[in-house]
Amino acid sequence: MIRDIVKNKSLYLLALPGFSFLVVFAYVPMTGHLIAFKDYRVSEGIWGSPWAGLEKFRLLFESDKWIQVTLNTLYLNLLFIVFSLIVALTLAVFLNEIRWAVWKRLAQSIVFLPYFVSWMVVSFIVFALLNTSDGLVNRTLARIGADTVSWYSSPQYWPLILTAIYVWKFAGYKSIIYLAAITGISGEYYESARIDGANRLQQIWHITLPLLRPTVIILTLLSIGRIFYGDFGMIYGIVGDNGVLFPTTDVIDTYTYRMLRHLGDFGMSSAIALYQSVMGLIVILIFNGIVRKVDNDSRLF
Amino acid sequence: MTEVEAMDNTVGRRSSIRQDTSWPEKGFHWFIHGFIAAFALISFIPFWLVVIGSFTAEQSLRTNGYQLFPTQFSLYAYQYVLAGKQIATSYGVTVTVTVVGTLLAVLVTSTYAYFLAHRKVKYRNVFSFLTYFTMLFGSGLVGYYLLIANWLGLKDSILALILPYVLNPFYAFIMVAFYRNIPYELNEAAIIDGANDITIFFRIIWPVATPSIATISLFYALVYWNDWWLALLFIDKHELHPLQIMIRQLMSSLDPDAYVGVDVSAAMQIPGMGVQLATVCLTIGPIIFVYPFVQKYFIKGLTIGALKG
Repeated sequence: MIRDIVKNKSLYLLALPGFSFLVVFAYVPMTGHLIAFKDYRVSEGIWGSPWAGLEKFRLLFESDKWIQVTLNTLYLNLLFIVFSLIVALTLAVFLNEIRWAVWKRLAQSIVFLPYFVSWMVVSFIVFALLNTSDGLVNRTLARIGADTVSWYSSPQYWPLILTAIYVWKFAGYKSIIYLAAITGISGEYYESARIDGANRLQQIWHITLPLLRPTVIILTLLSIGRIFYGDFGMIYGIVGDNGVLFPTTDVIDTYTYRMLRHLGDFGMSSAIALYQSVMGLIVILIFNGIVRKVDNDSRLF
Repeated sequence: MTEVEAMDNTVGRRSSIRQDTSWPEKGFHWFIHGFIAAFALISFIPFWLVVIGSFTAEQSLRTNGYQLFPTQFSLYAYQYVLAGKQIATSYGVTVTVTVVGTLLAVLVTSTYAYFLAHRKVKYRNVFSFLTYFTMLFGSGLVGYYLLIANWLGLKDSILALILPYVLNPFYAFIMVAFYRNIPYELNEAAIIDGANDITIFFRIIWPVATPSIATISLFYALVYWNDWWLALLFIDKHELHPLQIMIRQLMSSLDPDAYVGVDVSAAMQIPGMGVQLATVCLTIGPIIFVYPFVQKYFIKGLTIGALKG
């Protein structure tokens, strides 16, 4: 190791800033996980605070809250993954079938646009659409004589609403990746299929979709690997501290945040975060293992 | 050849072949166009409503809500927001964070990724793994918070909005994929001339890698421009609120008008909804304006990141 550093000292020097940032902002915070085993006192710091054993975990797993936030996290992420995959694939395949280049490029640009705005802006738009008194949706419902819904106090609709928002924001973005993969498919496949009399639907079904499989697997794996991580920016941006919606929208990340910032409970917050990190790691190892068996070329590592 | 051009070529090649005109084919054809048009409309209409709303008089907004076409054109909301102090402050913060953050992040990431990609480094796989591992195992909010707020003492400091995002492992791996495509012979010629690796990097590799550096610059710029998480955690002072937090404050604050910071003596009428809409438009405006020009770089980066990274 040292010999390598001496030999390539200018290369290691180039890497030094980046590596320092990695250590400081990714590895140093990991010591925070220790707090889960401590009776943390700010004045005494991580090392000075007395050990508390597994007390925090006992408290965490005693209440039902952890089950609720875990299930919400998994359920919402599953909805996001499945529906964004379906819509993005459909968009990509359909965009590829469009022969009028101007319209194709325009449509592609427009569906990609929502990816570029922040969750704060999305949150604003969602509020404009759904707020009870003068949201666009309720105004429209009232105009056609239907009953209005007070969306922000009806948790049952939110898995659906959040999924719709997720698909709106990311389907276009993901479709671009799929579209690029479709572009990489050799035209010869389609040509010989046409000679055999295959119509466009058959070509999509027998050529495009099977050849997209590796890309689909990689992207889905990346998402599944993060299935224990809720999108804090999205959920907290849109739902915020609206407790009425927590039964269906509170995910591990928002729970950790509230524990830390609103209750100042460092120990509990760490316990949940460590539980999340460990589960996340286990999930990705399992799925990568499965993929290694099924389709070795698509594995992540 | 860019990705977009490549796609168009495929289209050209395919359309030269006879079109099927049977009924199911035609139906499918219309279904495709219908679906794409519908999704494009859904993607676009929210932006349209917000932009139109921001140019509509407050009174009309209150009575009619959001509309596809403005009934009472007005620039008052913009005049009001721009008369306040907060918008200039927040713009300053967001622009500073984005510019400084992006420059720093690109410099640090591109050099680090070059190291990860360089075949002379014997232990590059070890370092790649150390980098990759941070994507698999989260550090947790508590440690992150303590690090930045207590240990580094960056609470209410603009550095708290910049430093944490300087090295994004995912973008580093995108760069690694780019570097691998550069022929190694470029290096060798320079080594014979006696140049060291730092000189080689900045004199030879950097110019060749310009397109990829442009790509990750845009990724980083978008992250910095759109972030509000760091500000939520670490910034309490109004003078350091980025634009995204300004929107949040306007939506949740009890006294948004004091927040906007218009001089009371001006005795202006307060356009509550208009202020929010105008601020949102001022926040997404720069993105929408540069979007048509930078889109292709994003597509390139995404493609490489997803398919090779």
